[in-house]
Amino acid sequence: MKSSLAFHKVIVGLLVIYLIIPLVGTFLFSMAGKWDHTILPESYTVKWYIELFQDERFYRALQHTLFLIVVTVGLSVVIMLPTIFIITVYFGKWEKWLQAASMLPYGIPPIVGAVGLIKVYSDGPIQIAGTPWILVGAYFITILPFMYQGIRNSLRTVNAIQLVDAAELLGATKFQAFRTVVFPNIISGILVSTLLSVALLFSEFAFANLLVGGRFETIQIYLADKLNKSGHLTSAIVITYYSIILLLTGTVLKLTFRKENAPSLLKG
Amino acid sequence: MSYVTIDQVTKGYNHQVVLENISLTLKKGEFATLLGQSGCGKSTLLRSIAGLEDVNEGSIFIDGKDITHLSPRNREVGMVFQSYALFPNMTVFENIAYGLKMKKAKDIKSRVTRMIELVDLIGKEQSYPHQLSGGQQQRVALSRALVMEPKVLLLDEPLSALDAKIRKNLQKELKRIQKELDITTIFVTHDQEEAMTMSDRIFVMNKGKIVQSGSPTEIYTSPVNTFVAKFIGNYNVLSIDVFRKLVQSTEIDGNEVAIRPEVLQLVAAGENHLDLQANWDIKGTIKDVSMTGNVLRYEVETEESAFLVDDLHHQGKMLEQGAQVHILVPKKECIMLAN
Repeated sequence: MKSSLAFHKVIVGLLVIYLIIPLVGTFLFSMAGKWDHTILPESYTVKWYIELFQDERFYRALQHTLFLIVVTVGLSVVIMLPTIFIITVYFGKWEKWLQAASMLPYGIPPIVGAVGLIKVYSDGPIQIAGTPWILVGAYFITILPFMYQGIRNSLRTVNAIQLVDAAELLGATKFQAFRTVVFPNIISGILVSTLLSVALLFSEFAFANLLVGGRFETIQIYLADKLNKSGHLTSAIVITYYSIILLLTGTVLKLTFRKENAPSLLKG
Repeated sequence: MSYVTIDQVTKGYNHQVVLENISLTLKKGEFATLLGQSGCGKSTLLRSIAGLEDVNEGSIFIDGKDITHLSPRNREVGMVFQSYALFPNMTVFENIAYGLKMKKAKDIKSRVTRMIELVDLIGKEQSYPHQLSGGQQQRVALSRALVMEPKVLLLDEPLSALDAKIRKNLQKELKRIQKELDITTIFVTHDQEEAMTMSDRIFVMNKGKIVQSGSPTEIYTSPVNTFVAKFIGNYNVLSIDVFRKLVQSTEIDGNEVAIRPEVLQLVAAGENHLDLQANWDIKGTIKDVSMTGNVLRYEVETEESAFLVDDLHHQGKMLEQGAQVHILVPKKECIMLAN
């Protein structure tokens, strides 16, 4: 019994090391002064961070990225949540179509998608090629699979159909049933999808570069640009945006699971 | 005067008939059971009464009011689901109070408290559903429906997820509460024993139709056809030709003969004083004996057919496998089935 527990611990330990080494390496490199032929850096410095935090372009890029993420993810939740709820609960037979549609982004490589999008949106009624709005559209599609799977799975886990039935029999309208019974029980699921989407969009490069490029510089484009100049500085950028994501995730999770007894998908 | 009337209700999905011309009436305060195998349409009928399924044809009346096309929230029916469907984000108190809140009722607190007392959940008001046992969750579900004082209470296999002992207790308690509140109840189950112990009236369903209705005793002692006979009580059902050969008599009519296993009597071969006036005698060999606790169940092979015979488990009276026996079949216990 004990030895098998130790075995599990070793496996988990190895996995953690495997995941964490690149991060630690990046962090060390971002703090390194001279680092040529030793295991750990010979000297440490924070000058890369100072340089980064003094660069106005960095703040603007970060701002752009956050703007895109908030608008896209917000839009996605507002549109997809009711859509998936209504289809799952009331129009079960259409679900396979929604599922197929939400899986489409996997089938189209970003390069192909981007070229197509530029063609469609550079003339005609909607001319948004080169503006951030085309990115919002593209990102909406990119995160569709995560939003769809996450929300649908939460709805299934809480058995939303039956909860709605029960609430309606107790005198609730369809909307009341959704607001008071379904939504509070799937909020943690929505949150997980949202966080996944945020993390994904933070590191999205292909669409940003092809569709908008330098006209609306996101953090990834800024990063790619700096990559040619200094490895230390790019490491500092990577560490900074990881920290931002971590902070964001931590805050949201903490806010949501504050109530000790509140049921959640994470607690099972 | 009937309180619940279901009049020629028919329902189908994509050319498949689920409910075929169902009609039934219930008196106020009656405890009725829809009994049948899974897929016989009993749950669909219950959901149609609740308004969770539309019917294609026919009408449903409760207390003289046509509710066929009303939405579930306006039907004044309460329902308890097989998986309880408690709201996981709410405490026991909030779950029970939910319907009253939606109705903006007065004195919510006292009504919920009274209900909690009725189902014996005092002390659990602030617990969440996941902190309760299955039996307790079921009580919450029941009181959540009852607190609304519905005209009809619908129970969709509410006990089938519980283990045997809790189940027996809850059966009794459910019956007590139902009597105390005098609430018209429709109970769905596939368990004939449960149906027998709880119901005033049983409706046996098969393939979307009601095949027989009556009191538990009527259903058990006079099944109308082979399906009911086999479903309700392990009846031995034999075709008339086989039975005539076995008993060497032609004084019987009908299509098939149904005999309950517990009316048959086994006598070891060699015993002489058999009452052949009231019984028929069939010779056979014991092929198998199984013991379910208080009952010994014998499988006896005869020339033409195998019989199930149930006997109470008395010490030292057990017959051995392979023993030659007489099966005594009481003449008046043989039920002739027309189809």
